[in-house]
Amino acid sequence: MMLNDQVFEVIKVVLDVINIFFIVYLIGYSTFLFIAVVTGSSELYKKKQQDKLKNTLMRDYYIPVSIIVPAYNEEVTVVETVKSLLALDYNLYEIIIVDDGSKDTTSKKLIEAFNMKPIRRPIQRKIKCQPEEFIYETSVHNVPLTLIRKKNGGKADSLNMGINACRYPYFICMDADSVLQHDSLNKIVHPLLENENVVAVGGVVRPCNGAELERGRVKKYRMPKNILACMQVLEYDRSFLASRILFDKFNGSLIISGAFGLFKKDTVIAAGGYDSTTLGEDMELVVKLHEYCVLNEIPYCIKYATDAICWSQAPERLRDLCKQRRRWHLGLFQSMWKHKEMLFNPKFGAVGLISFFYFLIYELLSPFIEIFGVISMIVAFIVDLINVPFMILFFLIYAVFGSVLSLTAFFARTQTIDLKITAGDVAKAILLCFFEISVLRFILAFVRATAFIGYRKRKMNWGKIERKKINIE
Amino acid sequence: MKVEILIFAYLAVCASMIVFNIVCIFVFRHRDKKIDSSKIDFETEIKQCIDNKAVDSKHREFLMKKLKKVNNLTAFDKTLNDLYLDYPDQIIWYLEDISSVFVYLCLEYLKKNKIQSAYYPYIIRKYRIGSGKNISIITDTMLILVGDSSLYCRQNALEALSVIGDASSIVKALHIIDESGYYHHSKLISDALLDFSGNNIKLSDLLWSEFSKFSEKMQLSILDFFRFSSGEHVKRVFQLLTSKDTSDEIKYSCIRYLGKFHYDPAYPYLLDYAKDTDEVHWEYTAITAMSLAAYPCEQTKEVLKNLLHSSNWYVRYNASQSLETLGYTYTDLIDIFDGDDRYASEIMRYRLDQKKLKESEATLNDA
Repeated sequence: MMLNDQVFEVIKVVLDVINIFFIVYLIGYSTFLFIAVVTGSSELYKKKQQDKLKNTLMRDYYIPVSIIVPAYNEEVTVVETVKSLLALDYNLYEIIIVDDGSKDTTSKKLIEAFNMKPIRRPIQRKIKCQPEEFIYETSVHNVPLTLIRKKNGGKADSLNMGINACRYPYFICMDADSVLQHDSLNKIVHPLLENENVVAVGGVVRPCNGAELERGRVKKYRMPKNILACMQVLEYDRSFLASRILFDKFNGSLIISGAFGLFKKDTVIAAGGYDSTTLGEDMELVVKLHEYCVLNEIPYCIKYATDAICWSQAPERLRDLCKQRRRWHLGLFQSMWKHKEMLFNPKFGAVGLISFFYFLIYELLSPFIEIFGVISMIVAFIVDLINVPFMILFFLIYAVFGSVLSLTAFFARTQTIDLKITAGDVAKAILLCFFEISVLRFILAFVRATAFIGYRKRKMNWGKIERKKINIE
Repeated sequence: MKVEILIFAYLAVCASMIVFNIVCIFVFRHRDKKIDSSKIDFETEIKQCIDNKAVDSKHREFLMKKLKKVNNLTAFDKTLNDLYLDYPDQIIWYLEDISSVFVYLCLEYLKKNKIQSAYYPYIIRKYRIGSGKNISIITDTMLILVGDSSLYCRQNALEALSVIGDASSIVKALHIIDESGYYHHSKLISDALLDFSGNNIKLSDLLWSEFSKFSEKMQLSILDFFRFSSGEHVKRVFQLLTSKDTSDEIKYSCIRYLGKFHYDPAYPYLLDYAKDTDEVHWEYTAITAMSLAAYPCEQTKEVLKNLLHSSNWYVRYNASQSLETLGYTYTDLIDIFDGDDRYASEIMRYRLDQKKLKESEATLNDA
């Protein structure tokens, strides 16, 4: 009996400690989210005011840009993607598609669609990558279009090939299943005109499920019919509006989405290009740029363009979403592990002290912490140490808080880019944001926590998800 | 109790965010409606002036009072945009007649926040207020805004000065930007200069006379402007190239200029740069390889062919481009293709193949 009492006491103390940890953890997260959403919203409203009052560079300033599109088994979308790129409102750019040894007819589709011709083009190997098998070129409306078919080596390897082949001082990386908004190039180069130290600029990625696009313009926008895609719209808005704008304030961005980002070619080459051994090559490159510039005492700046928009397909099947998130989580782990010396290192300033710490606690470890929280609740329930009504109330408030912040981000985004949404869309957003916070988040936490199972096997995989034709006219 | 406080705090945050969302929606709607109603007022007033073919002092007073508010200025801008489509000549005349209103507004907009201040020079530029007249208050206001920390204030004011067209004000503005220490991209400066509506010869003379007083960055912007505007500066650019005091970056820019505008006395110098095989000076060689395309002759051909064997990628790349631009064919360059240097033949073959491809595409398009 005494032993039981002692065990009970120990459990009670442990649960008390866990309790305090979770209160601190949640206060930290909620405060961060609150500050981030308020900062993000006010930044977007400021941007809208700037645009209205012509605080913008209104002409075409020709900063030449190379767009690199790595493709693997993209026969369904690649032609439409290139067509949309050819319709961009920009005067000086080239398009380079790197076919990473696709097993389908990706190259053939492109060659036929654009009447491309084979050419023997020497490529300067500044970054190591797999050899090319053939190169085709053409130009459409004065936009040079190059297709490089190479031996399979992964997405990072394809991007490195693209960097080697591109002729302009800045390059944009994007996914073959994405569509750039007509003015996105103009918007993403603006930070380069504002600050001479900019080495990278991240764009905004929005799910295109539900959107109807015509020559890179949104013709009609509805929340996606698919519930999973709908929840991702809310999630993307929250994440792009919140953390990225806040981190941008102190040059602390650690992620530029692989779906749309602009980089200074020389700096990327000097830093060693994309790492083809990691799954999260996009994040790894940004972290590497921070490290390279700080260690070499190069003044630098990594910016976020809130109005440069790329429309990308969000997975509509849970299986695909899980696959994508597992890949992202492994990529996050690999990038952070590779550059672990940056954590709390004063040499890296706010990046090491705030961004890295945030990503460690609230991104990398969060699925484990959340699952651990659920387990402790179950244990507390078994030993009757939990106040169930209070727990439900607390959880409800947490969910309402998260939902309100998601909605704030969603409305701030739709209002500031003048997307017209219907009352039905608003209702959908209100209903689903609660579901996203309280259900999807926990499913994805479990998926991310188990991402390491089978990690070796997936190492060089492109992590494909089901592709659909994007709704482009 | 402490937990309850926490819960209440969270609820308060939630409530405030919801209120924030709702307020934002209403503020935007209300503002748009107000702008629309102001637009109607302005339209009636302006149409009356057009009908009467005169602007009376009452109308000017009305504008002075109204346009102090930035939302009204936005509505005024929109009204003028719409009316210009139906009454282009009358609107030009009307704007000339109300220039005193903009003189009055200068001080008002200097007092506003940066975003609102930047809108004022935009309006001055867009409607060419004071163009060719050099109204000193407007010019002085633009010169104040050109030194602002906001890029948009600086750029809009610089563009407004370009439209006003007073050369000495432009040079003054460039000095202000230069001395402010704020980063201002060279493309923005050269583009603003290209818009200059006044006496271009006077502007060029002034820029040259002050050239040495500018920072290297500003000098590069000015040289870019000269390169995009005319070939009249070859002599001075050449002097700059041959001066011992000129920095490398400025010399690169001079070589680019002399590659765009042919100048015989520069040719021997360009050949010297092209023949320099020292790896340290590869940038000179690479840029010269490009510029030599403006000097077609047998000697250029031989020098460029020689540069195809350079160990530097950029030198080979530019030399091949110049040879292609000069119109040499596979037969003319047979020794390159038959030679041992794989790199030279590969890059040259690529250039000529690419040219053939472009020509066949052009033929197809024509057909």
